[in-house]
Order: sequence, then C-alpha cells, then structure tokens
Amino acid sequence: MVDQVKMAVNLGGIQMKNPINTAAGTFGYGWQFEGFYDVSLLGAITMKGVARVPWEGNPAPRMCELNGGMMNSVGLANPGVDDFIAHTDDYMKDLEGRGTRVIMQMAAHSVQEMIDVVERLEELNPHISAIELNVSCPNLEKGGKPLGGTPDQATEIMKAVRPLTKLPILVKMAPVNVAEIGKAFEAEGADGLTLINSIPGMSINVHTRKSRLSKPTGGLSGPLCHNAAVRMVWECASAVSIPICGVGGVETGEDAAEFILAGATAVSVGSANLYDPMCAPRILNELTDWAKSQGVSDIHELIGAVEC
Amino acid sequence: MPLRGNVQVFDFTVLSNTQVAQNLYRAQLKVPGLCKSLAPGQFVNVNVPGDKRHILRIPLSFSLADKATDTLELIYATVGEGTRRLSQMKPGDASDMTAPCGRPWRLNASSKRSVLVAGGVGITPIIAAARKLTELGVEFDAVIGAQTAEKLFGEEDLLALGAQNVYVTTDDGSKGTKGFVTAALEEPLSQGVWDAVYTCGPEPMMRSVAKLAIANNVACQVSMERMMSCAFGACNTCNVPLAKGGYASACMVGPVFEAKEIAW
Repeated sequence: MVDQVKMAVNLGGIQMKNPINTAAGTFGYGWQFEGFYDVSLLGAITMKGVARVPWEGNPAPRMCELNGGMMNSVGLANPGVDDFIAHTDDYMKDLEGRGTRVIMQMAAHSVQEMIDVVERLEELNPHISAIELNVSCPNLEKGGKPLGGTPDQATEIMKAVRPLTKLPILVKMAPVNVAEIGKAFEAEGADGLTLINSIPGMSINVHTRKSRLSKPTGGLSGPLCHNAAVRMVWECASAVSIPICGVGGVETGEDAAEFILAGATAVSVGSANLYDPMCAPRILNELTDWAKSQGVSDIHELIGAVEC
Repeated sequence: MPLRGNVQVFDFTVLSNTQVAQNLYRAQLKVPGLCKSLAPGQFVNVNVPGDKRHILRIPLSFSLADKATDTLELIYATVGEGTRRLSQMKPGDASDMTAPCGRPWRLNASSKRSVLVAGGVGITPIIAAARKLTELGVEFDAVIGAQTAEKLFGEEDLLALGAQNVYVTTDDGSKGTKGFVTAALEEPLSQGVWDAVYTCGPEPMMRSVAKLAIANNVACQVSMERMMSCAFGACNTCNVPLAKGGYASACMVGPVFEAKEIAW
C-alpha cells in the first residue's frame, strides 16, 4: 500500500484531476446534484445531450426497472441548443473554474443537425472542455438506422464535424462493433471514445402483452450491463490509441477499476447517480484506495494492465 | 435554470409499520432533519434494503411530516416486490431516503369550502392536505373511494383532521355508495358547494374528477403518479403530458398540477 497515487488523467485533451466522469443523461446539467455533494470533486461531468431544436422525447412510461438494472426510452428529451445557451447561467460558467471539466454532449438525427449543434456549442467555449457526439440516435434521413453505426458513417460524421471546433471531440459509441467503428472515428480525428451507450433491450408485460415502455424497445443500463461494457472497452482499447472513457453499470470503485484495467483512461458513473446520488465521490475514493493497494504511484500504471 | 438542487439523502429508522387495510400499510419513520423542509403534496424516494436486484428507490407520498418529533408517516400500498419488502421492515430497521421531492399542494387559504378526493392509496397526500386545510382555517369535505370496503382507508383520519363530511364510495358497494367517487361529486359540484378540488388516486379517477371540476369551472389540483428513477430532475423519465403540448416532470414541476394544465 502506497500513501499517495497520482490520479490525474488526460482524456483526449481533457485534463481531469481524477478519472471519474458522469454519463450523459444520468447527471442532468450538474446542478441537480449540488444538494448531495460538491460536484467539482469529480474529474469531469458530462451534460445531458442537447440537439439543434427542442426534443419533446417519448410518451410515458419512459422507464421500467429490471433485475439488476433499468431500461429507458426517454428519447433524449432536451431544451435544444439555443435555449440551453440562452439559459447557461453563472452556475455553468463557474464549473470549469471550480476545477471540474465540463463535457457537453450533443444529439442529432442527421449529420447536418450535428454540424449545426457543434457550431453553436463553440459559443460555450471556454465554459466547456469538450464536445461528446452521441452517434446512437436514429438517422432520420437514412431510414432510422443509428447515425454512427458503421465505419463509413463514422468517417462521414468526423469529416463533417472535426473542422468545426478546436475543442476535443469524444464519441459516445453504441454497443456494436466498437473496435472497427472506433478505429474509423480515430482515423478522422476523434480525441477519445466513450463506451458504451445503453444496450437496446425489450421488456414485455406478459399479462397485457404490451411493452413495458411506451416504445417497443428501450436502452438497458445499470449493473446488468457492466461486464458487456468491460468487454467492449477491452476490445476497443486493443484496437485504438486514443483514450477511452468506460461507461456501464459502475456502482463501486472495483467496477471502475475493471474499466481501467481493461484499458479505459477515465470512467463514467451512469445509472447509479440516479438511485444512489452520493455514489460518484465514494467511487472516486474507492478507486483511489484500490490504486494504492496495487502499489502504484500513478493511475496510468494500471490503465490496460489486465493480464490475459 | 435553478442554480442548485435541494434534494438530499436522509437516514431513517422505522418506528412502526402496520397494516391498516387490505394491501395498505402505515409506517412511521424517524427521519432526523427532514420534516421541516417538507410540505403536504411533496414526496420522498425511499431506499428499501434487502434485494440487490432491485436498484431503484420507491417514490412515496407522506400523510404526516412532524417537524417537532422528526416523524414522517407513509401510508403505502403493497403493489410490487419493493413495497412488499418495505412492509416487512420492523421497528429499529434503518435505511435512507432522498427528499424533499416535487412541489406541494397550493392550498387556497381563502377557499370558502374545499373538497378532497382520494382513490385507494391516493389517500396519503390527501390526509396531509386535510391537516393543512384545518391549520389554514378552511372548511372542507372529503370523498374517498376504494375497490372494496377491505381496501378502504382514511375515513376516521379525515374526520379527526376536521373534514365536515366524508363521503365513501366503493366499486362493489361493500361500503358507502356503490360506484366511483364522481358519483358523490357531480351534484354538489354543479351546485357550487365547493370552490376548490384536490385529488389523488388512480389516473382514470383523477381524469374524471378533473373533467367534472373543469366543466363546473371549479379550481382543481391533481397529484400525478409516475414511474421514475431519480425524483430530483436528472433522469427525465417521469413525464406528464401537458395541454399546451410537450411534457413536464412529475418530480420537479409536479407531482401536483393544475388539472387544466394536463393533457388528459
């Protein structure tokens, strides 16, 4: 056991004082958690995605609980980028100064929408440290398939978006073919990859024969996703050189440590923020204790250090 | 955009937990520091221990938040695995809750005569409202409904808290008037007996009550129930459809809404 371990990491140009981040859509816009703890304890926080125009999202019910997790079909309800920027107040502008890095997620239904939002988000610089592209939304111009679901689409997105901003660009990846698609994003200049997004799932009430959500399917999250996510981070980290932020079912420091060992530079806490809102600082402390127990002086010695 | 959420985690200890009707329990919890910041109509999100497979908290209304003794009273129905485990918690058992959640009833202190309308476990925030109306000096009646007499609860509580009349309906006629709560509301509402309606219960019941109130041009507030994860404005899963279009969160804008705000 060592006394001190350096926990600061560089996630694709985002200088984080520690590896703990939050998953978009599970942390609101940060202020919701200020009653629980000082959110600037975290290395970064990722804001819920904003789109070019307000999205109402899907009808209720948008969420159901499952064994070891939950499933949602929120449909990325958000106020739209103009409203978000207009209402970006001193709280948001102060977050970077308090020492946490702000990652702004954006969502879109087409590459053109993506371009429009990224151009607008430039206005938030220097109040944000990076933009995260959510490429899992359906592409409404191309039959509803995920926007960034193939290597060719990844190339098209990055060629369109990369020239628009000097901010680091992270890509929030769908849980499909992450190594190949990750390489395509890397080749066109992505600074880092965040994986995984929620896993498509379905839950049926067998008495009514209806979906338990207002939509037939939703996105699985929570502990039941954790080991699928660790596997995908490991596969992707073996294929790319840019840093990865691991996401999926993290409840404890050991869960976060698995992502680090699998090759993640940072780790996002997701659904656990919702049911255990004090958990993120605890997970940071547990991760730090684990790093000490491994006898290293810097967390970097443990990134990708799985032996297999 | 508010600058800061005010929901926090509070530890609680069970003082008592007893069955009061079929599938209906009353728990009294010692929750140091919470009750002073709760108002009738708000709710709490309870961590029920004992099963790691169930990760979410259970959002529950309260019937009493006594700041003098730090006692919170929940009247809850056992509808699933989580509430069943809650019903098995014994005096001395401990866990935590997040609170205060949502916005309270906006009780009209200058009402000449109000009516409280509860269906089933919707009685819980109605009891809290009754206590507050009496504090405000507002005269009120109540209408409470349940499927059967065995599931009915709250008549004595509401009378003790100052209700002048408590009208009872049951779906099967095993107690009070056979039928739904609306049967007891239609005539007095049309005669202008009440100038404010506050209701909580199954959504079809609240829809009927809301439509009656709106048709008679009487102010009406409803307390909506939704599946939700966080109950503090982060997850966006507890959406209620609005008459003007779009949605509002039950946990932040609600659970209490003006009946006319909702797209029924």
